[in-house]
Amino acid sequence: MNLNQARKKKSKGGLAIAKSRFVIGVTVPLLLYESLGIFVLGWAFVLMFFDYSSGRLGGPILGLGGSNPFVGFSHFIEMIKGTSVEANLFRTSLRNTAIFAFAVLPMNLAITLPMAWLLESIGNRFKALYRTIYFLPVLTSSVGVALVWMSMYDARGGWINAIIRFFGGHPVSWLSDPRAGFAGVSVAMWAVIIAYLWQDYGYNMVIFIAALQGIPHELEEAALIDGASPWQVFRRITIPLIRPTMLFVCVMTMLSSFQVFDIIQVMTNGDPGYQTQVLMLDIYKNAFRYQNLGWAAAESFVLFVIVMVVTIFQMRILRTDWEY
Amino acid sequence: MAAEYFPVTTARPKQSSRKSPRLGRPLAYVILTLGLVFTLLPFLMMILSSFKTNTEMLRVPPTFLPEHASLENYTKIFNDPKLPLLRFYGNSAFVAIFNSVSTLFTSALIGYMFAKFTFPGKRILFGWFLTMMMIPSQITMIPSYLILSRLGLINSLWGLVIFSAVDAFGIFMLRQFCETLPSELLDAARIDGASEWQIFGRIVIPQLSAPLATLGILNFMGNWNAYLWPMIVLQKIEVRTLPIILTWFNSTHTGQAALVMAATVLIIMPILFVFLFFQRWIVQGFTMTGFK
Repeated sequence: MNLNQARKKKSKGGLAIAKSRFVIGVTVPLLLYESLGIFVLGWAFVLMFFDYSSGRLGGPILGLGGSNPFVGFSHFIEMIKGTSVEANLFRTSLRNTAIFAFAVLPMNLAITLPMAWLLESIGNRFKALYRTIYFLPVLTSSVGVALVWMSMYDARGGWINAIIRFFGGHPVSWLSDPRAGFAGVSVAMWAVIIAYLWQDYGYNMVIFIAALQGIPHELEEAALIDGASPWQVFRRITIPLIRPTMLFVCVMTMLSSFQVFDIIQVMTNGDPGYQTQVLMLDIYKNAFRYQNLGWAAAESFVLFVIVMVVTIFQMRILRTDWEY
Repeated sequence: MAAEYFPVTTARPKQSSRKSPRLGRPLAYVILTLGLVFTLLPFLMMILSSFKTNTEMLRVPPTFLPEHASLENYTKIFNDPKLPLLRFYGNSAFVAIFNSVSTLFTSALIGYMFAKFTFPGKRILFGWFLTMMMIPSQITMIPSYLILSRLGLINSLWGLVIFSAVDAFGIFMLRQFCETLPSELLDAARIDGASEWQIFGRIVIPQLSAPLATLGILNFMGNWNAYLWPMIVLQKIEVRTLPIILTWFNSTHTGQAALVMAATVLIIMPILFVFLFFQRWIVQGFTMTGFK
């Protein structure tokens, strides 16, 4: 009986009203929430044109103006050709971030792609076990990863120096020696790069494994039958087939390494002598330690632009126009 | 002659057993096992170190197994009144669970609406969400902090959850799943007198359980391991989440490497087993979405 009443009540017009009520009930709170998002974004945009510090009272609207004066583009001009401590540190951070990202990307690909390929070539039983273990560091908190690697890099009791001593080398103060370097990059930077790679390779590996499982294997088999070497097959057939995944992995790896923060903040906090100061760390310190929020907002905008440019650039060069 | 060039019967079974096997299985296993050791070694070092004494940690060359394995570091941490671990676990759990549940709810609801309803301005609103997906959090970090401090929500766990109640990415993902739901099913329920909210709760949500599980575990993990934003918002010790507590503990116990390793074990290992249990969903989520 209940059902019949309901049926009677719900004519076609009634249904439409119920539907639009539902839409209104969802969109109105959503729009309110999103207007907060727009407000936050707008504030971020405005902030970079002010010399803003949350310690000063400033003008009536959001504390802008007054003792937090409008400075126009001077933050950006300062970044390019300024001689202040902040400007120098910004440029150092930018350079370090680029070194970090451009070291991480090729090293990551050189590890993850062959390893994923090897993992795909072995029996199913072990595959799951290997993959699970390679994936462990990805699941681990990056703070934990940083602390474990700090203990391994320890100048005295650390394992890495123990291995170096075993082979007759000189122990290195990995995280604090400002003069030691390799290939023009300081050892502290190499140390954080390796710890970061260790935490991150499992992620790209599972992406590559999924891609390798998804491609048609007839082509590889045909090439093998025709007498191609496994390396030729890998180089000439497998890699071109997973090109879209390569693009995706390159972009994601580049983006996350441009925004690296956790591991470096814990392991070195930018030391020794700002050799590992990356952009996110510089932004964090300026915003929340020195209360220099206008400058930090301008820096974040630069980081944002870099991230966008890198993404677009990589999409251009790795784009494919064909499908299999 | 032709048979020689197309040795179908002989080549076929050999090739289809596994692809690209010519590198030699043993070599593949050796390389993969080396990688395995490299992956596991830091974990092993951490666990072994946590049973050592702080002086043993400074030994040159370092000992592999602890000389006098003891649980002293662990008892010290459990008896440390300044480190109520359960409380910090509670803080992390609150943030991670609240964020995951609210994100799942809003993502399902909004994703469903975008998939199955037509209304004016829908495309603009969805376009706005897509744009929001592109904007990295460090752009909004500073004004978000300023808003929280004006609202008096610094040092409040609520401050940590209000800005992440709606997640553009989750909406995008669940919209795609909702589009595959048959509209006839929803219309049948409507004609049978179900209200729109009943349809959402009783029909749509159960159909979305797989993507919701994936999204939920990814969200939980991201929140559990989050470091930068909680560090900015939570400045008082008692409201902190586990990763910030771990770095705080490290900086207040310099020179006590073994003790810090024990704290690291206690903070990262339990949840690692949970994540390991859900690994299948996490991997699926990563490969399906590319979201980290």
